[in-house]
Amino acid sequence: MKKYILKRIIYLIIVFFVVSLMMYAIYNLIPSDPAMVQMEPLRKTLKPEEWQRQYQALRDQMGLNAPLLQRYARWMGFMPDVSGKFEGMLQGNFGYSISYKRDVVDIIATPMLNTIILNFVSTIITLAITIPLGIYCAVHARKTSDNLIQAGTVVGYSLPTYLVGILFIFLFAVWLKIFPTGGAKTPGSTYTGILEFGDRMYYMMLPIIVLVFTGLAGMTRTVRAAMMDTLSQDYIRTARAKGLKEKVVIYSHAWRNALLPVSTSIMGWMISVFTGGSLVIETTFALNGTGRLYWSALNTTDYELVLAMQMFYTLVSLVGVLLTDLSYTLVDPRVRIDK
Amino acid sequence: MSENQKNTTNGSAKQKKEFFLSRWIKRLLFPNKELDIYAEEQMQSPMRMVIRNFFSNPMSVIALCVFIMIALFVFIAPHFVKLDLGEQDSTLVFVSPGYDMMKVPADLQKNGVADISVGRNYSVGADKEGNVYVWGKSKVTKVIDLADIPDNVKNAKIVKVAAGSDHVLALDNKGTVYAWGNNRLRQTTLPSELMTNNRSHEFGIRAIYASDQFSLVITDDNRAILWGNENFADLSYKADELDGHVVDGAVTNTAYVLLTDDGRVVCGSNNASTPVTKIPAAAAFRVKAITGSSNTAAALKEDGSVVVWGASTKGEDKIPAFSSKAVEIEGGRYHYTARLEDGSVVSWGSNRYKQLNVPADVTKSNIEKMYVGSFQNYAIDTDGKIHTWGLKGFLLGTDGLGRDVYARLVNGGKMTMTIGALSVVIEMIIGIILGGIAGYFGGVVDMIIMRIAEVVSSMPFIPFAMILSAVMGTKVTVEQRMYIIMVILGILSWPGLCRLVRAQMFAQREMEYVVAAKALGVKEGKIIFSHIIPNVMSVCLVSITLAFGTSMLTESTLSYLGFGVPLPTPTWGNMLTGANNSIIIQNYWWNWLFVGAIFGVACICINLIGDSLRDALDPKANGR
Repeated sequence: MKKYILKRIIYLIIVFFVVSLMMYAIYNLIPSDPAMVQMEPLRKTLKPEEWQRQYQALRDQMGLNAPLLQRYARWMGFMPDVSGKFEGMLQGNFGYSISYKRDVVDIIATPMLNTIILNFVSTIITLAITIPLGIYCAVHARKTSDNLIQAGTVVGYSLPTYLVGILFIFLFAVWLKIFPTGGAKTPGSTYTGILEFGDRMYYMMLPIIVLVFTGLAGMTRTVRAAMMDTLSQDYIRTARAKGLKEKVVIYSHAWRNALLPVSTSIMGWMISVFTGGSLVIETTFALNGTGRLYWSALNTTDYELVLAMQMFYTLVSLVGVLLTDLSYTLVDPRVRIDK
Repeated sequence: MSENQKNTTNGSAKQKKEFFLSRWIKRLLFPNKELDIYAEEQMQSPMRMVIRNFFSNPMSVIALCVFIMIALFVFIAPHFVKLDLGEQDSTLVFVSPGYDMMKVPADLQKNGVADISVGRNYSVGADKEGNVYVWGKSKVTKVIDLADIPDNVKNAKIVKVAAGSDHVLALDNKGTVYAWGNNRLRQTTLPSELMTNNRSHEFGIRAIYASDQFSLVITDDNRAILWGNENFADLSYKADELDGHVVDGAVTNTAYVLLTDDGRVVCGSNNASTPVTKIPAAAAFRVKAITGSSNTAAALKEDGSVVVWGASTKGEDKIPAFSSKAVEIEGGRYHYTARLEDGSVVSWGSNRYKQLNVPADVTKSNIEKMYVGSFQNYAIDTDGKIHTWGLKGFLLGTDGLGRDVYARLVNGGKMTMTIGALSVVIEMIIGIILGGIAGYFGGVVDMIIMRIAEVVSSMPFIPFAMILSAVMGTKVTVEQRMYIIMVILGILSWPGLCRLVRAQMFAQREMEYVVAAKALGVKEGKIIFSHIIPNVMSVCLVSITLAFGTSMLTESTLSYLGFGVPLPTPTWGNMLTGANNSIIIQNYWWNWLFVGAIFGVACICINLIGDSLRDALDPKANGR
């Protein structure tokens, strides 16, 4: 087991660097020249030859003339900078955002917190609803109530997240006027402590509802499928044959076994929500989260921020896949990993 | 699944040569006759089983039908509903759905028309008994509706009406002028000399005109009175020079011209700067009537000829040759309509909304009077019948740039479906080839391909697609960008299909028919792609169906976020961009509801079809 985990972590690191190299190469396709940006104002004050010389010197100083791999290594922190210092991602230097005029590290703290709260709360609510619902559906499989819920879930997972978002803004914000249409806090408010938290949650409520709604369908189906699979097992038949009550069969024998495979798919679902769903939701609701930050950074071509965020997403995704696989082996000992 | 092969050949050598897809489609559409109960155990092919299961579920049949209908609709309708990408008109912004712009009220028709005036997307009419009617898109803002005719207007006997872009003027038989509508720029605040009890001496009103944000009144003692937003239009008036001589006037969007009693067209304002106020020499004598379009003005001369001047952009100045003398001329937004002495009616200018297509019965009947404005034409014949032609309205309304939502919906659907389908094809090609190779050969090849698949599938999909689209799509045309999106979607989504094909391959490669093919010396490539793959296609079908739905969804999400197909080319995704603000959601519901509904239904249908196919393929669900 330890060997397996070690192997997976090494593998993860390799994949991370491969992806980051790819991202860096893609990022370098964009024609941008920070040296030119700095030198452009001096063009009129200097002689052309002198300007050219200074420009090239600056390019050398910035390390722009180095080959791609070398620049990547510097950016990552494998190689010392021109000044001889290690200043890369690995040393915690995520770059400098041109649109915010601040270091990337300082910018992403608040959005990260918002995104984590958003995802955490919506995940808990979704699970609290879907697990009982899925079990109910499996137990009452092919009855009217199950068919109705199944039809509802198809609608739920077919509709694009942003469409559900727009629909819910219409229902809850415009029509019923329960929630605000967007934003992260009441404009001009100076709440502190619990009030501030309450205000933030109030603004986050509608995005959470939308995320829960879009997540309901897929998870309910997963739980239902797993539960139905378990209910068709021989040991359930045995339990029934012994004359156990149906309640005992379901709540003592079946559902724990059914939830084992479900727990792994929760992980995968969370990753997809974190990287995809919440990105769309944050943009739709103008919520200050990582997704919206990424979106606005791409729109303002703030590529150092984009690159840092992209690395973050890749890491989340890779660690998520690793945790999924590990949880799979943990919850189900039948899965042999050390072949 | 080897029975599958045996079954289909059925002794005929010809069938064997057919391409696997055509054979497959044939079997899907024309299944063989149902076998009897004794033969079933041996001969029922899996594919037929799937089809039987699929069609036994009414839900999936409905979903399939609805989806085929939507697909046919978005691929056929664009041939009839052409999309003009450059189309936009500030006067057609956020027009609500419905064909009611020229729906003349029955009472007006019955009582006889005294006057009609066409405003922006609505019309006002007065009948011979003095009642006023408003029809069309009369809602200006959430609270102001031009159809809310004030009580004093309802009580008065109205003889003349004038419709501006957001205000209406009415004149009663006693010479009183009424105004209602949007007063944000003082359009409806009458100047004091027009107030009946405030007039310095007795005078009547000869004509009233309303334009965008200003109004013009011609009195019967030959003066012009102007009011409205002076920042928008030059409303100065050379009173000392022109008072006592003005007999008629005409308004364009931002300027006005006057007709004097000696048949001259003059510019009434002091500091004329717009092209309309530079009156050509031909319009300076023997002019009978004048009228205005949006940016030009026209004069009808006593000899029956027409002169047009101003900033003509859509062919307003291209006057056709008349078959006889013109006796009446009226201007719309970008067109003019003239009635000739021989009874025929001629229109010229822009024909974007069919405002030039004069119906045949207009020429046949005896037209007495015409009322033209915006994109609409009304002609009254001697029997009092009203003939109309021009823009009736928009089936699904217009968006924030005045573009027809229906045309964009249809063409956007074609775009979204095409991108979805082609990206699935790319995904299929990559997934099946790599999955087939990995599964058949195994070993190192399998390891390498699976590692690549893992790298690709561990990339966060939407953020990665966004950055690829942002980086690669900067310097390309819309068309190229569309293909780039397809390739991005295809390249990022193949691992799932690849894994499926690989797993199927593992099971199939040990089967007898593969061994037989190997023994016969069939090349490996041929074994994979023409022997094994056709047998696993039925399993892949589910994955492909669902992938099509996912591709459409992803494309629309990317477009919605602004990293898909760029505007103005419509897709179902980017039509919803900007719909997430409460003003549009609430007031302009037609901008998101129709697109959302058709897209939602299409996605639901695809997923239902995919689910039913999966159930149909699942041997446990067969109930045997």
